[in-house]
Amino acid sequence: MKKKVLASLLCAAMVAATLVGCGNSSEPATETPAAEEPAAEEPAAEEPAEEDGGADEAAPAGDLHFEIVSKGFQHQFWQAVLKGSEQKAAELGVTMNFVGPNSESDIADQVQMLNNAVNAQPAAIGLAALDTNAALDGIQQAMDAGIPIIGFDSGVPGAPEGSIWANCSTDNYAAGEMAAEETYKLIKDQITGATGKVRIGVMNQDATGESLINRGLGFMDKIAELIEADGKTVSVIGNDKYVTDCKIEAKNSEDGDVVIEVLVPAQVTSELSAIDCQTLLNKEDTICIYGSNQHSAEGMVTANENIGRLGKDVVGVGFDSGAVIKAAVKDGTFAGCITQAPVAMGEAVIQQLYNAATGATVEDVDTGCQWFTAENMDDPEIAQNLYD
Amino acid sequence: MANNEKKGNAFTENPIVRAIGTQKIVVVAVLIVLFGFFCIASPAFRQYSTILSIMDYSYYTTLMAIGVTFCLITGGVDLSIGTGIICYGLLGGFLINHKGMPVAVGLLVTLLAALVVGTVNGALVAILELPPFIATLCTMMICRGLGSIATGGLSQNWPPAGSETGWFRSIFKLDLGTTKIPLGFVWVLLLVILMSVVLNKTKVGRYIIAIGSNKEATRLSGVNVIKYQMSAYIISGFFSGLAAIAYAATFQAIAPGTGAGLELDAIGGAIIGGTSMNGGSGSVAGTLLGVFIMSMLKTGLPFIGLQANWQQIITGLVLIAAVYIDVLKNKKME
Repeated sequence: MKKKVLASLLCAAMVAATLVGCGNSSEPATETPAAEEPAAEEPAAEEPAEEDGGADEAAPAGDLHFEIVSKGFQHQFWQAVLKGSEQKAAELGVTMNFVGPNSESDIADQVQMLNNAVNAQPAAIGLAALDTNAALDGIQQAMDAGIPIIGFDSGVPGAPEGSIWANCSTDNYAAGEMAAEETYKLIKDQITGATGKVRIGVMNQDATGESLINRGLGFMDKIAELIEADGKTVSVIGNDKYVTDCKIEAKNSEDGDVVIEVLVPAQVTSELSAIDCQTLLNKEDTICIYGSNQHSAEGMVTANENIGRLGKDVVGVGFDSGAVIKAAVKDGTFAGCITQAPVAMGEAVIQQLYNAATGATVEDVDTGCQWFTAENMDDPEIAQNLYD
Repeated sequence: MANNEKKGNAFTENPIVRAIGTQKIVVVAVLIVLFGFFCIASPAFRQYSTILSIMDYSYYTTLMAIGVTFCLITGGVDLSIGTGIICYGLLGGFLINHKGMPVAVGLLVTLLAALVVGTVNGALVAILELPPFIATLCTMMICRGLGSIATGGLSQNWPPAGSETGWFRSIFKLDLGTTKIPLGFVWVLLLVILMSVVLNKTKVGRYIIAIGSNKEATRLSGVNVIKYQMSAYIISGFFSGLAAIAYAATFQAIAPGTGAGLELDAIGGAIIGGTSMNGGSGSVAGTLLGVFIMSMLKTGLPFIGLQANWQQIITGLVLIAAVYIDVLKNKKME
């Protein structure tokens, strides 16, 4: 008897916990009743999404409502994007619903969120797709319903023509090049004056995300170009994808005066990224390591705890920010870092969504990036793009 | 094949070998061979800092593995520990970072959260009689969601080493300025000894083994099966709490939504160490050795320049070999 009572109590507790959980996370995403779902299949009847979508919301001036599907809030980068879009939305007097999956590997969850966003019939949708192919169905639905989509962050590469009206994103290849130019200033003398082989490590979280691949390749291509301009040879080894796609000619070879070694961990865990960095730090000829996002850069800081070469005889360069990376730049572990401009990105997304909804001109926006060091990281211009 | 068996018998009848256990000796031998191989193959590997890192990165897996060994011995499993440690670490970190609580409170909450989840797992399996795989798969999903909701999806950084509030990091690694001492290994060893005693010399441990061998017979002989089966999951929960603290002390940041898959390293380690997936037998010391094989592979394979996908293939092959030894052993017993 006791057992049954306890059992039902437990069940109730679990169900309650689950419901509370679901309520919190999905509430904003399902604002609009599911009854409107068939509308997506019969676009003709519901085409003027603008007027309709706004009507039952009792929104302020403009009556515009936007749905924004991000890649989640796992990295504080997204919090800064959210902040920028909130500011701009308030300024323009529009409402928005900003959602994102639990992690950047939850592709199915994001697809569901995009479908919900289409069903909510907003004036326009902002989308940073984790996987374009998975999102195609939702994108098609939005097109059929005549809802404009604005891509942001990595955008929606390879989406069907006409579905994405514009992109607000960092030009990641250019950002990688900027990292290479700034890094080369710091290691130029070491390279031109070297008598033996020297090594530059490039750490990437994965070899699948478009933005990361471009950041890695931008860095590799540019730094090789700069080194060769100074009369030294360059070869590249490591991850197949990066080795194959980069412009460096001596592939899979350790023969160059400078060897660029590209590493990608088997899984995205803190441990494996730290081990990758350690393999580089334990090689005596390593003079520089570049980590192409927050995860890789944090892995560098973890690995350096046991070795302590970064900031001494190895130049560390990171990407993005976060409390750990900011501290590493401040104390000299990292010579510098590239930060994107997430606040500006959030603002640009809302502006483009607004333009799309009101019939104004819609255009691609490069939201830019900045190089920050211990000296300039407190400048307001830069500090607004750094987050904890 | 027949020849090998004969040799094996002579080997296993040696009293010293029998006291330690064949599998453990094999595992230690493999460990030494692996270490030797990596040292020869990669000059970058044979440095003190590498050993330090193998230690650092093994604590959280070892602690998880000690706990899950008890679940495995009952014939169950605990899949919630991987996302669990991330969830508990996020909760503790959130209280420290955003609620201004002292680190000690953060540590305590981390442990308490783990105990609660362990108890829920135990209740689901022992009282409601849900299959352990399903029950803990569900709590795994719940942990994953809760960690994200509780922190608003923000990743959490525990106080860094060297800062005023970073004292808890020296529990695992003592920084003497010039050298660093992997102190955590001492605690892990002590816990392994303690839990070996619990498993083999106490009522709790013996009943846990008995449940794994034959639950019905154990029940019929008057043992409170529910209580002891539950305690296995509570032990697993408690150790995942300790693992969460070790994780927070080793890594710079804890990101919500991660952690899935970490439990498999722990379970894999326990299996390599000779714990049977069918329950009824296993050892904590074996688990420690098994986890070190996993850690050695994870750390060593990147050093010899093996690409990511090959690392996973090799780890998979090692697991197959380990489980096959388990299968052979069971056959012999029959």
